[in-house]
Amino acid sequence: MVDYDRDSVLSMPHTQRTTLAAPPHETGTTAPLIRLLVEWASLLLMAVMIQGCGLVVDAVQLVWPIATNELDAICARGQVRVGMAVEPFQPFVFPAIYTDEGLRVTGLDVELVREITAALSQRCSNTKPIVPTLHLIRFRNLFLELTEGNLDLFVSSISANVPAPGRIGLAYSNPYFDAGGIGGITARPDVAERIGANIRRSSESAADGNTMTSAFSGLTVAVQEGTSAQFYAEANLTGINLVLCDSLPAAFESQSPPIDLILGKQPVLDYTVRRVRKDWRLLRLDSGKPLLLTHEQYAIVTDEESYRLRRFLNDLLFRLDKSGRLTDMRQRWLEENYAYPRRAATEGLPFAAEKMPQHYDQGQCRLADNRSR
Amino acid sequence: MKRVWCAAVVGILATFAIGALAPSTGWAVDRAEAEETARLLAKLLKAGRLVIEQNQLLIDDQHKGEKGFTPEVFERQLVQEFRQLTGIDLSKLHSTPASIAVPSLAKELLPAFVLASKDVVRDAQVVINQRGIGYKNFIPATYGSQAAARFSKQSHVRLKQTTLGPRNPKNEPDDYEASVLKWLSGRPRAEAYVSELTDHGQTLRVVMPIYYVPACLTCHGEPKGDLDISGYPKEGAHEGDLAGAITVTTPLSLR
Repeated sequence: MVDYDRDSVLSMPHTQRTTLAAPPHETGTTAPLIRLLVEWASLLLMAVMIQGCGLVVDAVQLVWPIATNELDAICARGQVRVGMAVEPFQPFVFPAIYTDEGLRVTGLDVELVREITAALSQRCSNTKPIVPTLHLIRFRNLFLELTEGNLDLFVSSISANVPAPGRIGLAYSNPYFDAGGIGGITARPDVAERIGANIRRSSESAADGNTMTSAFSGLTVAVQEGTSAQFYAEANLTGINLVLCDSLPAAFESQSPPIDLILGKQPVLDYTVRRVRKDWRLLRLDSGKPLLLTHEQYAIVTDEESYRLRRFLNDLLFRLDKSGRLTDMRQRWLEENYAYPRRAATEGLPFAAEKMPQHYDQGQCRLADNRSR
Repeated sequence: MKRVWCAAVVGILATFAIGALAPSTGWAVDRAEAEETARLLAKLLKAGRLVIEQNQLLIDDQHKGEKGFTPEVFERQLVQEFRQLTGIDLSKLHSTPASIAVPSLAKELLPAFVLASKDVVRDAQVVINQRGIGYKNFIPATYGSQAAARFSKQSHVRLKQTTLGPRNPKNEPDDYEASVLKWLSGRPRAEAYVSELTDHGQTLRVVMPIYYVPACLTCHGEPKGDLDISGYPKEGAHEGDLAGAITVTTPLSLR
């Protein structure tokens, strides 16, 4: 409400001054009483409406559904707002780099966003194609940004089948990658040997909780905060020193405390030790297969109420799967020999850089608590 | 085809005459002025590339977040490098002594290129200042592509980096550039450039060669065919080989 001060009101042109004056019919002894009654009635009505606000909104939706159709909103806007983790989850999301075309980000998830955008352009039938606006945000903030309505969706090798706190109001598409899971890497051969020996001794399956507890006991184990690896470690691994890191690069760099083992997304860890940190090695079973502690599926995240958008994404993923395109994409990024700067230059997407300086720093690591878990 | 091979910059400066520029009625510039401006623009882009090259270790330092390589720091180093290459102080361009002839067109365009370059460095800050990421692909070539593109977008003069068999398809030489590059590749290294009128005398083309220096060879040297850090096959080049050229295309009139 604007609070006019007297001098400014008096200095207003004549027409405005007249509108501010009290209407003549309200003068008299009954006027204050009537005004009081009207005010009370308004307050009562507002209170009822606030209480039943959701019902009112639902009623509006039923009568006028287009008002909350997120797909139409994207079409009208001409852009889809996509969140991505600024911390690298390669080969799903590579670090942002500079190219001949300017700032770019690339990876399997970026290729998926291109597919989503192309399909949205077809669906919207606008004269101009739908433009993806990528926001590179800290992993842990992706969920918040979506629930606050600043994103239409986000994608960053997010595990759809891992219950986690703070994810109320969100929903997942069908998976676009189903060979995920939690794996581990270490730079110390003795740690790898110790874990291997524990698993060999166990008659249970490799991922059995007791086997893992004894295999990892006493080790300093790093996980990226907010990821499924943290939830797994907290729920299943007792006797470890759990270290929470802001990113995978932070875990590699941590000296205080030094890290014995990093748990994280197995495909990401596998790619990283093969291409970037060859001084670390993936934990493997005697069969040579990677040691997996869980099985995870990666999916696109939307607001829980974005039903149409989610159905649209599921249809698209179904078509991509049936046509073999998803398989090709997975193979291109996980198995082929390539260097991402080149792909970033030819097929990467630009991103909104204004928020990134506040977001990107590989961050730090810290002990989850002061005692062994 | 008439090709002028200018063996010394001094010769060009001597032939440079004060041009008549008529901005209010359109664009018209004489050849000498256009040629000297083109030469200086090419030198300025070259200086910018050198500044990026000299700061490459800092830019790619994965242990450091804020690098302090700001647009202002870049500008200072660019001005210094350009002064070393040409003797011209860009910070005092309008009070340049008469002994150093700077065409009025150059006085207009050189600061515009500095601004375009600063914009590129400004945009790249989010990538440059990432901690935990080493190679960021902010290298002389990518800086040069963007700075040239931004400058060319707002000017009549087109600036480009090109080479035979470029990594970036947008840097593919046109027929004229390809013929000059082939001609240059057969000649010994020289601090010189090619200048020529095309389009029936309507357009001036200036091609300034760039030669490989040791810092380039990490990515462009031996063994040929091996992938470098950015994923491109190495060219197997040696120090002093022709790396490519900076080309400047100036219309002498626009009607």
